[in-house]
Amino acid sequence: MKELKLMKGNEALAEAAIRCGCDAYFGYPITPQSEVLEYLSMEAHSRTGMLVLQAESEVAAINMIYGAAGTGKKVMTTSSSPGISLMQEGISYIACAELPCVLANVVRGGPGLGTIQPSQGDYFQAVKGGGHGDYKLIVLAPSTVQEMVDFVKLAFNLAFKWRNPVMILTDGALGQMMEKVELFPQEERTFEPLPWATTGKPKSRERNFITSLHMQADAMEEINRHLQAKYKKIEEEETMFEEYMCDDAEYILTAYGLVARICQKAAQLAREKGIKVGVFRPKTVFPFPTGQLAKLAGKVKGILDVEMNAGQMVEDVRLAVNGKIPVEFHGRMGGVIPSPEEVLHKLEEKFVGGKA
Amino acid sequence: MSNTIDTTQVKLTPKDFASGQDVRWCPGCGDYSILAQVQRVLPELGIPKEQIIWISGIGCSSRFPYYMGTYGFHTIHGRAAAIATGVKVSRPELSVWVATGDGDMMSIGGNHFIHTCRKNVDLKILLFNNRIYGLTKGQYSPTSEVGLISKSTPYGSVDYPFNPLSLALGSGATFVARAADNDPKHMQEMIKRAAEHKGTAFLEILQNCVIFNDGAYDAITGKENRTDKMLYLKHNQPMTFGKDNSKGIKLDGFKPVVIDLNDGVHSANDCWIHDETDHDAARSFILAHMTDHPELPVPFGVVRQEYKTTYDQAVSNQIAAVTEKRGKGDLQKILRGGNTWEIA
Repeated sequence: MKELKLMKGNEALAEAAIRCGCDAYFGYPITPQSEVLEYLSMEAHSRTGMLVLQAESEVAAINMIYGAAGTGKKVMTTSSSPGISLMQEGISYIACAELPCVLANVVRGGPGLGTIQPSQGDYFQAVKGGGHGDYKLIVLAPSTVQEMVDFVKLAFNLAFKWRNPVMILTDGALGQMMEKVELFPQEERTFEPLPWATTGKPKSRERNFITSLHMQADAMEEINRHLQAKYKKIEEEETMFEEYMCDDAEYILTAYGLVARICQKAAQLAREKGIKVGVFRPKTVFPFPTGQLAKLAGKVKGILDVEMNAGQMVEDVRLAVNGKIPVEFHGRMGGVIPSPEEVLHKLEEKFVGGKA
Repeated sequence: MSNTIDTTQVKLTPKDFASGQDVRWCPGCGDYSILAQVQRVLPELGIPKEQIIWISGIGCSSRFPYYMGTYGFHTIHGRAAAIATGVKVSRPELSVWVATGDGDMMSIGGNHFIHTCRKNVDLKILLFNNRIYGLTKGQYSPTSEVGLISKSTPYGSVDYPFNPLSLALGSGATFVARAADNDPKHMQEMIKRAAEHKGTAFLEILQNCVIFNDGAYDAITGKENRTDKMLYLKHNQPMTFGKDNSKGIKLDGFKPVVIDLNDGVHSANDCWIHDETDHDAARSFILAHMTDHPELPVPFGVVRQEYKTTYDQAVSNQIAAVTEKRGKGDLQKILRGGNTWEIA
C-alpha cells in the first residue's frame, strides 16, 4: 500500500534520510532549513538509532561529516547559503579524499546575509566546485517535495557508487512548502565493510590513510586525472532531465528546481495563446544534460532560460547550444520568485515581438 | 565675518542614541532593557556619538546596531569580534562595542572570542545570554543547561554548557563582569565600568527569551529568589547577600561556603573580601564557577579587572618604536632598492 503524507520540503529531506538508513546527521540551525535538524532530532534516534548532532558551526558540521564519512557510514548535512559557504573548505577536502556524503543546500537570497526567501543564487557554487581546486559534486535539483524525498535516496546511492559528495540543490520555497509525498518503505541500516573505510586495522587488511595532500606535483596531477576521469564517467552515466511539451515546441524555456514548475505554467499559458512552448528541466545540474539540450536546440527557434539569480545556469545552456539558436535570459534576484505571466511576457518580448 | 566653529560639547541624551528604527524584538524580550540601559549610559560617557560604533554578528541580539543612533555594522554570524578587531586597529580613536549572543559568540564565534580576549583588543563586548537560539526559533545553545528541552534537543540536551565568565577569564579578558536584564540600575553601572575599561571588556548579561526559553533565570533573578541567589560584588567589600545581608561567602581554602552572619559565630569579618584586581586569577575563577553550584549564590558585578597594554596600543607602540629606530620608511626607496633578481 502507498504511504502518502503531507510534508514540508525540509521535513521530507529529513524523513527520507531516516528511511534510507542514514547513520548520522550533523547540522547547525539556519533559516530556512532548521526544520531538517529539528525533525531529525525528534524522529531519527528512536526510529533507527541514527545519530543527530547540532554542531557549533557549519565549519564544525562539515568536518564532522568528513570524519564520519571516512568511517564508511552514511552521513548527511544540510544548511542554507551562508552556511554552505562556510562548508566549502571541507567539501573540497572530502571531494579530493573521495568520500561519500550527502549535502543539501536550501538556498536563500544572497549575496552576504541576504534574505531568507528562496533563490537559485548558489548554482555556480554548487555546480562549478565551490571550494578551491578542480573538483565536482554531483548536484541534484528537485522541483517538488516528492523529489526532495526521492533525491535523498538517489543521492546516497550515487555518493557511494562514485565515492563523491552529492548535493541536493533546492531553495527556501521548496523547503518550506507542503505537498503530498509518497514515501518509500523504511530500509535497514546496514554497514558494508568498504575497503577504503576507517574501521580499524586487523592483520587481514591494508593500512588505510585518508589525505588530500600529495607533495609531489606529478602525484597530485595523477590524482586530478583520476578525479576528472571519474567526473567524465559520471557525465556519461548519471545525467537526468525532464522534457515538458517539447515534442512540437518552437521555443524552449530552460529552468531547474522550483522555477521549472513556474515555466511549465508559463508554457501552458503560451499554448493557450497559440505559441508552442516547451520546458527543458535538468534534474542533475552536474552532470548537466548538455547533449540532450544540444539536440533539442536543433529543433527550436530560441531558448529563454529562467532562474532566480542573475544568470548562472544560462552559461551551461549557452555552452550546450553553442550559438546554434539565440539564448535569452530572465532572472529575479534576492529572494523574488518570477510569476508564470512574467515569464510568458518575457518570452513574447524576446522572441515573438509581443505580436503573438 | 567670523568663521570660528562652536566646539563646545553638546550635551547628549538617551534620545540621541536611538536610531528611529522600529525596534523589532518580541514583546517582553530582555533585549529591550539592555537597549534602554545602553542608551541611558552612553550620554554620560562624554564620547561624541560619531566616535562610537556598534558591531554585531547574527542573532536576535545582533539587531542591536539597527536601533542605536551611532555608526553600526551588522556582520557575519560569529565574526563580530574579528570584524571589531579590524575596526579598532584601523581606527584606534573609536569606541568599539560588540553586541552578541550565546549562539553567536559562544558557539560559531568561540574562536574569535577567545583570541580577541587573549590579544586584549580594546573592545566592549556585551553578551546577551539567553541560553537559546532565538532567531532560528528555539534550538539549544552552548550555554543551555544539561537536559534543556528545545527544538533540536526534544529529549533534553546531553552536552555541558560553557561558563562564559570562566571562558573570558581563561582567554585573558582584562575586564569580566555580569549583569541581569531585570536589574537596570546595576546593568547601567556595569555598562559604564565596561566603557571606562581600556582593553577587552566582557559583560555577560543574563537575558530572558520570553518565547523560547522563558524563565531560564527565574531561579536566580526571579522576584522570590533574587535576595538569596544574587550576590552583588563590590570591590574591597565583604561578600554578603540575603535578606538584610544576613549571609556571607567565606573562602574556605579554594572552596566558597555560605555562612550565616546572624548565627553568633560568624561576622562580616569572616567574609571573603572581593578584590577585582586580585593578582591571583584562581580566585576570579572560583567566583565565575560559583554559578555552577546550586547551593551558592550567583555573582553579579565586576569579577575581575586588570590593566595591560591593549593590542591596538601595542601595535601603535611598536610601529612608533621601529620608526624611531630605523627612520620613516620610503616606499620609493624600497621599490627601487637593490634586492632585485634577473631572470635568465
